[in-house]
Amino acid sequence: MERKIKVVMAKLGLDIHWRGALVVSRMLRDKGMEVVFLGNQFPEQIVNAAIQEGADVVGLSTLGGNHLTLGPKVVQQLKEAGMDDVLVLMGGVIPEEDFPALKAAGIAEIFGPETKIDSIADFIRKKVSLKEALG
Amino acid sequence: MAANNAKQHTKLFDSEALKQVEAEKKRWLEQTVKNNEAEDAYSSDSGIPVKLLYTPEDIKDFDYMNDLGFSGEAPYVRGVYPNMYRGRLFTVRQIAGYGTPEDTNERFKFLLNNGATGTSVVLDLPTIRGYDSDDPEAEGHVGAAGVAIDSLEDVEALYDGIPIDQVSSNIVTHLPSTTVVILSMFVAMAEKRGIPLEKLSGTNQNDFLMETTVGSSLEVLPPKASFRLQCDAIEYASKNLPRWNPVSYNGYNLREAGTTAVQEVAVALANAIATSEELIRRGNKIDDFARRLSFFWNLFNDFFEEIAKCRASRLVYHEIMSERFNAQHPKSHLMRFHVQTAGITLTKVEPLNNIARSAIQGLAAVLGGAQSLHIDSYDEAYSAPTEEAALISIRTQQILQVETNVTNTVDPLAGSYFVENMTKEMADRIRAYIALIESKGGLVACVESGWLHREIADFAYQTQQEIESGQRKIVGLNYFPAGGKKTEVNVFRYPEDAERRQTEKLKKLRERRDNAKVEETLKALRVRCHEDTNLMPYIKAAVEAYATLGEIEEVFREEFGLWQFPLV
Repeated sequence: MERKIKVVMAKLGLDIHWRGALVVSRMLRDKGMEVVFLGNQFPEQIVNAAIQEGADVVGLSTLGGNHLTLGPKVVQQLKEAGMDDVLVLMGGVIPEEDFPALKAAGIAEIFGPETKIDSIADFIRKKVSLKEALG
Repeated sequence: MAANNAKQHTKLFDSEALKQVEAEKKRWLEQTVKNNEAEDAYSSDSGIPVKLLYTPEDIKDFDYMNDLGFSGEAPYVRGVYPNMYRGRLFTVRQIAGYGTPEDTNERFKFLLNNGATGTSVVLDLPTIRGYDSDDPEAEGHVGAAGVAIDSLEDVEALYDGIPIDQVSSNIVTHLPSTTVVILSMFVAMAEKRGIPLEKLSGTNQNDFLMETTVGSSLEVLPPKASFRLQCDAIEYASKNLPRWNPVSYNGYNLREAGTTAVQEVAVALANAIATSEELIRRGNKIDDFARRLSFFWNLFNDFFEEIAKCRASRLVYHEIMSERFNAQHPKSHLMRFHVQTAGITLTKVEPLNNIARSAIQGLAAVLGGAQSLHIDSYDEAYSAPTEEAALISIRTQQILQVETNVTNTVDPLAGSYFVENMTKEMADRIRAYIALIESKGGLVACVESGWLHREIADFAYQTQQEIESGQRKIVGLNYFPAGGKKTEVNVFRYPEDAERRQTEKLKKLRERRDNAKVEETLKALRVRCHEDTNLMPYIKAAVEAYATLGEIEEVFREEFGLWQFPLV
């Protein structure tokens, strides 16, 4: 049997809007992934959880404008922990002009509020299986 | 009051005539309509079945005097004031808030100079959550999505040159723990300017559900502590600020997080019930505080259901105040509410369509009898509104006010078979949901157990499934999708140097103020946290010594402990 893809999902920092992160968590579960929803956390706790859970993917949800500071921090701290193969994704209300900076910082993809869950799930599957193939 | 004398049933329809209508409708369905559509083929967003056509039969027991009456009189379905918008148009209240208090003060003045009739300020996340701008947890958030407030000095800068004795001030304080501090700063600022407190008119949000249920976050206070602070602010204002609404029960954010229109109103009303019971337990009388309780609704696209919701909410509130609490003062029975149009219904694709959505939602607010209105800006799915987008929102309100004539008569949809039927359905369902909350031990218990969180999460999940499957249609998104066509939108950028400017100010304040005095006031507050007493006077003493929001909140966090948000 194929192993389940493991996703650690968190709201970034003090941001208080949990609907998106929660709904995406539930829907990725429907798509057969194992999702650990952390609620709100700062980068350090998110990285610790990713290590403990052996996460393939870290999903970060943000609306409040902290994406440029805290998002790259998660990538950086994963790298420092030797977890640089973890796929870091962001979702929420993020201006498109910030996408290049986020991608340059190592965020694999950014999903806006109208992304269909299928696109997110497909993206994760493709990237994770590619990673495994490259082994 | 007329309605009090009108206990006898005022029949609107002759029973013979109703029978004839019923028979004719049956014939019409069989001979003219001729389709076999299932009865439940259509329903409102809250799941209320909607028929093809409504007749007097659908409101056959309708009793004009007891179910509807006149505006400004019980049961207030038709509006809280007799002449409604002829007496005073709804307040155009657009939210503003970004950067430092000095930045937001400029936006206030722009909006006031363009016809806004009140100010409404939204706070940045560190402020909402009770952290100072120089706190490590605030990094990246300062002045984003709202304005940064750290001390009395900031409140003074925010309202500098704004005549707060003439224009009303809405302060979106969200959490009670923030409310008690910012309200104290506002009062202290007014006193320093020599403005009598009875001239201060405005609203703060102050809803413990914002801390414990609607907004997830780290380090929140336990529901009971948050609820206590909510009640402290209401009790303080009822004694000191006669024109201040110390709570705006926040149905809005419940709805954004994920509830039906019915749940939105029922949960907010359950909160009003819980507050009233607590303040009465403390020895207050219902008429001491009920007249200043206010509400905050979120109007989605289901036009008639939303109008019915507004009407039904007034009816049920009046019942609660009269039957349950025996309130005597007429103003204690008035449900006054602010409406913000539904941010979550706005799309990132084809954003200009959002102008239409918001205008229709705004029209429902006016037909529903709102006291004040914020129309969301079309760029909401991108960022905080640009000046240009905010101006379109104000213009939409002004078009409603002076070009459409919809404000000329009171409650123009009254008597519509459909609207009256829907209003009754909404009222029945709101009552039933309040009863459900009470059967589970009341609202605070429903939060502590995570029950309310599950209700919200389930609805949000179900809605998203409906959108993904196409069952719930959204123009440009899953109905005639835009297909990659892009609209250029100017994105509002928060001032990048706000964090630096704000933390420098704060550093100077900490050097300048009497730190021994600050310590002394914080210590006094700390002790009172464990007594059955109102904390407002002690908080006010601390802010007058220029204690910061973060320092006061730290006292709360240490004395009340922290609560784990139930993950669902």
